[in-house]
Amino acid sequence: MFLSVSFIFGSLLLLASIFNMTKTVKQLFLIQNPQKPSLCVSPDSRLVVDSIANLNHPRFHTDSSLSSLISSTSNAFHYADENNLKFLVKSELYRSIVNFLSHIYKLSDKIRVYLSKYPMEGVLIDCVQNSMRHLLYRNAIFMCERLCSEFPSETNLQLLAACYLQSNQAYAAFHILKGTQMPQSRYLFAISCYQMDLLKEAEMALCPSNEPSAEVPNGAAGHYLLGLIYRYTDRLKSAVHQFNQALSIDPLLWAAYEELCKLGAAGEATSVFGDSAFECIQKQYMSQDVGPQLQASSDDHNVVSSRQQVAENVSARQLRHLNGNNMKDSSLNHNGAVFSGSTAGAASQPNNGVYAVIPFYNTPSPMANQLSGVAPPPICRNMLPNGSTSSSVGADVSPRSTVKSTIQAPRRKFVDEGKLRKISGRLFSDSGPRRSTRLAGEGGSMANVSGASVASGNGSNHTSKFSTSKLGSAALRSVTVRKGQSWSTETFNEGVRSELDDSRVNTTSTSGSSPSPDTRSCEHDGSMGRTSMSVSKVANGALELLSLLKIIGEGYRLSCLYRCQEALDVFMQLPLKHYNTGWVLSQVGKAHFELVDYMEAERAFSNARLASPYSLEGMDIYSTVLYHLKEDMRLSYLAQELISTDRLAPQSWCAMGNCYSMQKDHETALKNFQRAVQLNSRFTYAHTLCGHEYVALEDFENGIRSYQNALQIDARHYNAWYGLAMVYLRQEKYEFSEHNFRRALNINPCSSVIMSYLGTSLHALKRNEEALAMMEKAIIADKKNPLPMYQKANILVSMEDFDGALLVLEELKEYAPHESSVYALMGKIYKRRLMYDMAMLHFGLALDLKPSATDVATIKAAIEKLHVPDELEDNM
Amino acid sequence: MATESSEGEEETKLMGGNSQLVVDTDLREMAKNAAWSVSSCKPGNGVSSLRDDNYETYWQSDGAQPHLVNIQFQKKVKLQLVALYVDFNLDESYTPSKVSIRAGDGFHNLKEIKTVEFVKPTGWMYVPLSGNDPRETFVNTFMLQIGILSNHLNGRDTHVRQIKVYGPQPNPIPHQPFQFTSTEFITYSTLR
Repeated sequence: MFLSVSFIFGSLLLLASIFNMTKTVKQLFLIQNPQKPSLCVSPDSRLVVDSIANLNHPRFHTDSSLSSLISSTSNAFHYADENNLKFLVKSELYRSIVNFLSHIYKLSDKIRVYLSKYPMEGVLIDCVQNSMRHLLYRNAIFMCERLCSEFPSETNLQLLAACYLQSNQAYAAFHILKGTQMPQSRYLFAISCYQMDLLKEAEMALCPSNEPSAEVPNGAAGHYLLGLIYRYTDRLKSAVHQFNQALSIDPLLWAAYEELCKLGAAGEATSVFGDSAFECIQKQYMSQDVGPQLQASSDDHNVVSSRQQVAENVSARQLRHLNGNNMKDSSLNHNGAVFSGSTAGAASQPNNGVYAVIPFYNTPSPMANQLSGVAPPPICRNMLPNGSTSSSVGADVSPRSTVKSTIQAPRRKFVDEGKLRKISGRLFSDSGPRRSTRLAGEGGSMANVSGASVASGNGSNHTSKFSTSKLGSAALRSVTVRKGQSWSTETFNEGVRSELDDSRVNTTSTSGSSPSPDTRSCEHDGSMGRTSMSVSKVANGALELLSLLKIIGEGYRLSCLYRCQEALDVFMQLPLKHYNTGWVLSQVGKAHFELVDYMEAERAFSNARLASPYSLEGMDIYSTVLYHLKEDMRLSYLAQELISTDRLAPQSWCAMGNCYSMQKDHETALKNFQRAVQLNSRFTYAHTLCGHEYVALEDFENGIRSYQNALQIDARHYNAWYGLAMVYLRQEKYEFSEHNFRRALNINPCSSVIMSYLGTSLHALKRNEEALAMMEKAIIADKKNPLPMYQKANILVSMEDFDGALLVLEELKEYAPHESSVYALMGKIYKRRLMYDMAMLHFGLALDLKPSATDVATIKAAIEKLHVPDELEDNM
Repeated sequence: MATESSEGEEETKLMGGNSQLVVDTDLREMAKNAAWSVSSCKPGNGVSSLRDDNYETYWQSDGAQPHLVNIQFQKKVKLQLVALYVDFNLDESYTPSKVSIRAGDGFHNLKEIKTVEFVKPTGWMYVPLSGNDPRETFVNTFMLQIGILSNHLNGRDTHVRQIKVYGPQPNPIPHQPFQFTSTEFITYSTLR
């Protein structure tokens, strides 16, 4: 029988509540009934088994009194009489608890091996995890396959699926997890479906149709994924709902907010990242403040791990093929930063670091107690028969509590960590605390191990084991050895760690030497104080982070609503170190781009490239900016660079396509844009660019189709509406054109270019008054844009208001003295006014400015027929 | 009738040729979607050889002169330039010398608009279609016919390796009497 993770957690949770209710929480229990603990424990441990039989509680995010439970259970093992212990060990509960405990402490995975009922499983899991940690996916997959064939439990399958997902083989994970039921499996399955573009299946996995009330697995992450699925299946309302739900569970799920912004449905950042978010975070951290001191640490873990999942989702999705490695690196760096205490940009990290350290202050104490104070020979005796039957269980019972509580990475850790260890580029590095926990925990275990040799109690323990079972001592020895190895392998922040270890040794040794209830309560108080202190630190950290997110979020929201000037103002409020990051700078560039301020956009984007030359975010827009600026050299350089950075990113091929498009090689450009679409069919902009190229090739049908594809992905992509409108304008379907320009303008209400074209289409519809009004609006919207002025002149000419038109054109001439078309139009007007000299002059000027061959022909023809009234010619 | 040019009668002699195809940037190839046909061809050297962007292959006629290449467009197009790739060094007596270009709505009303004579050409030969009148800069037509009236050294059949037909780029901005030339205007003239 293989127990599922959730199963274990759920039942343990239940156990915990029982403990709480019956006031047999370990400390109390020890204090109150030190003389006959087994009396109380034995019924409880039976209760556990009962509860396992009865209940399968899926809520493992909220288990609040887990850590007290650990100690209780470890005590249960310790003090249980022979029968109970046998009972426990024989039941699967034993294994579950081992897993669970090791999860809580996230310590060395290796010692777990010695505790596992199936040592091979432990070794394999350990190995897989190690490989994953070192990004050796091939090895991980191979070993995990061995694991699954030897021990075909669903959690192991999850691990295998996670390996495949990490190595970017979603299809494998898909096949492995098909039909599985556990929440984590469903989530992983949904992720793999999503990556394979099987949105329907992903949705089915997340919310099975036969049980509509079932909770979405993995909380915020699950909701986020579901939201994405809804978004891409065009159920925007549901998507918005899901994203909001995800945000309400985890306010730091930035990706959900980003999606909401893209959908144009985001609430103001000040409210989203406001007080309620703060409370939410605080709740996540502090709900256990009232409980026993250990709870804080355990919940901390839970929070962290759930976060981690969230973060993983982000990375899994957004960075699917590129950034896995980067992510990992960055998370590692963050860790380093936590320890060295010199991070910019992760204000809350140190807090977490401190916070996460707490468990060590707490956890070693019971163990030390057990080791030094009690060290019960009966258990050893007890275990001997077991040892003979299953070596790992029997191997070392007395240090088990040590081992158990301090060491090991359990199964759930793989599930979370193995696959989820990639942390997205959030500011808040979740792995920081977790890792520090583990490191410090290792320190704790070291302390214990070393303490075992020093303390007399432990010494006896040691010798007794040595005498009773060689295996046990061998195990213990190798434990130390392995610890040493892991030390040497993890070379960075070693210094800091040894420092931690020192402190740990001190703590444990003192508490270990004096196992009396008094010290214990003292320590209890002390750690309580520490807990609350760190809670306030967490609060500060959360506030800081939220205030940062408020600014970035508001900026992003405004920029998604195309209130670009406001967005720019908001971004300016950011501290410099955040402003000068690739993401923010490219957002700034984008905002300038939307404002048709290509020069500024270019500046921001080139800064963004300086800040993060590897980042592709917004580089498609950058290439378009360069296209508009006719910077062919820089554009082709950019395209080359992007391609060499990542050949598989749609942005790279968009840049390449823009490059060709600028050379008027529209066919090659189209091919490049199509490649971008192939690489990521949800990359909206590539579709639009395809449309532009089709239109340039006068293939309007396909152009319209491309624009429609773009709009199907993102109905708020105004460029595609604009493209459609342009096609209709060309095809002289003016009503359609006007409609589509209006759609575009609704989305981006500040764009003077769209306004000007809307005016043109209105003019074509002979609604000249409206057209003129629209042109005026466009002129006011952007004073630098000469287009609406020129169009206004055009309209005035058609209304035969020549003086007005000339006035406008004179003004334009000041602005753009090298614009041939202005002179040509003026010449035309003078000709109609029969002012031939002036007409001749302006036509000549127009010709001097190298107009296109078509225009040369037109102008020359006009000159030749200067004295023939316009009406006789066909209207130009 | 699309064209009323009468300048076609006077012959121009064209020499040399370019190994590289160079045309103005405001021109574009127009005949990609046109229907191409030839009066006669040898098996394996058919009409497709004219459009395969390969200088090694060629169309070879197989019949009486004049040898004709017909290009029928789907709609009326503005044309400005025809470019032929011929190679006297390789083809010798197969190399065209007198080439006539005709335009019209269809086979029934083709009218000659240009006649040129090639003198030992090797490479791309450009035949501008513009007349002297500025209003005749472009040929506005449904169909173009390129007739090989005679070859060098009185050869009978002819070899032509490539033919391209160019017209002006359309104004990127619809409903605009003139194209913009200054960067100030062009940057603002479109979105992307």
